[in-house]
Amino acid sequence: MQAAGGLDFRQAPPFFVPLRFFLTAPVFLFLAGLLLFTPGAASWQRWSPAILAAVHLVTLGFLAMVMMGAFLQLLAVVAGAPVARPRLLAGLVYGPLTLGTLSLAGGFWLSDRWLFYPALTLLAAALATFALAAAASLRGAARNATVFAMAAAIFALAVTLALGLALGATRAGWLELANFVALVDLHATWGLLGWVFVLVAGVAYQVVPMFQLTPAYPRRLTRYLVPLFMVGLLDLPWAQEARSAWPGDAVALFLAACLLVFALATLYLQHRRRRRVADVTLDYWRVGMACLVGAALLGPSGAQRFPALLGILFLYGFAVSVVSGMLYKILPFLAWFHLQSHTQAPAGTIPNMKSFLPEVRARRQFAVHVATLGLLLLSTLPGGPWRYAAAAGVCLSALRLTANLWGVWRLFRAQGGRSG
Amino acid sequence: MSTDLVVDARWLPPPEPMERVLQALEMRGRGQRVHLLIHREPYPLYELLNARGMEWRSRTLADGCYEVLIGGEAGDV
Repeated sequence: MQAAGGLDFRQAPPFFVPLRFFLTAPVFLFLAGLLLFTPGAASWQRWSPAILAAVHLVTLGFLAMVMMGAFLQLLAVVAGAPVARPRLLAGLVYGPLTLGTLSLAGGFWLSDRWLFYPALTLLAAALATFALAAAASLRGAARNATVFAMAAAIFALAVTLALGLALGATRAGWLELANFVALVDLHATWGLLGWVFVLVAGVAYQVVPMFQLTPAYPRRLTRYLVPLFMVGLLDLPWAQEARSAWPGDAVALFLAACLLVFALATLYLQHRRRRRVADVTLDYWRVGMACLVGAALLGPSGAQRFPALLGILFLYGFAVSVVSGMLYKILPFLAWFHLQSHTQAPAGTIPNMKSFLPEVRARRQFAVHVATLGLLLLSTLPGGPWRYAAAAGVCLSALRLTANLWGVWRLFRAQGGRSG
Repeated sequence: MSTDLVVDARWLPPPEPMERVLQALEMRGRGQRVHLLIHREPYPLYELLNARGMEWRSRTLADGCYEVLIGGEAGDV
């Protein structure tokens, strides 16, 4: 059971279920940074093998990895509908997702069609298993705006996967698609807007007021934003097929307006928070929302004219920032909570949550992340040495994030916590 | 009965309210209850108190906050 507006940890999965996803994800971000050093990434060409590989390392290896781990936690504590066998499901998803993402990135980067065989098979197995299990659990879930967004995000993930499989099969030479570029756009739109944005919005309804001590999101926003956004997403391909351009432009503008409304509402709520203490997660979210505002103002026309700028703003500026910020909040919280539950320790005998991840270390990593974001944006300008500095920044930021998250786990273990 | 220990955890980020309550439970004297004020309903705390076999009672206040009264033994609250 779960009451509106709260979290219920009675059915929370074992710590290791989300943990393995959270600890692995930053490694993929590091690999994406390495790819940015290669000559193939020089001009930020959307179709260059290195960029395609880096983008999928970020979207599947970092974002989906964290979001899927968090989703298993959310199903239990927000939706009141845990998956039946969380350890088994996590095992079935984690391995294929990890290996599938590496194979796909390798396939893109080396332009090796044979690597698409394992990539597509493994990713289909991981994502379809996850989506089916999550959808089955959500059928028995509590009804609230976050749960609706979670269901919508799972639908979007399934659409993204189906399109991705068709596109991958085309790339591997098993299939011929006449409208390949349009389907790539659709794949990216459903993945970034449907899966990433919708899930972030739904989760924000819970975690922003709870962890950042802001007022609640307006009821009208939580009730209508995601449903209307999904209607827009579903309409987009048909609107773009119309004889004149305006229906497609209108729907795209509507989607951008939804992003803008969410980002501005979040920034406003954060401005009205109850306690004005420094918090790195809050700062990560502010950067994320500012970049979402930028992406919304730039697109949809920006998608054609400045695809690299739009991609960096949305992927690294918005999605990576928000997910990193959440990792800094969720992982120490779960470590503290599970340690408290396992050991039934008297107060004062286990570390408090803040000592699992000292703010100063998180803040140093945040500074590197923000500097890297600036360098990435600069690197879209022609010429200049910015790309190498940006690539080094992505790698350094990912390494620091990895070290910080693994530090939480080490302390958990040192205190006698069992993650299994 | 001795005076309740009051923990005002309103507008503290999680898990500080729980950390403070647990600390108060350790510090309290015999027969003393812990009186928690908090801005959200603390479900994880209920779970933890139940696991420790503690009696508790909660109610919503007029301003939307919650008051949780925690005793140590059955019949205390």
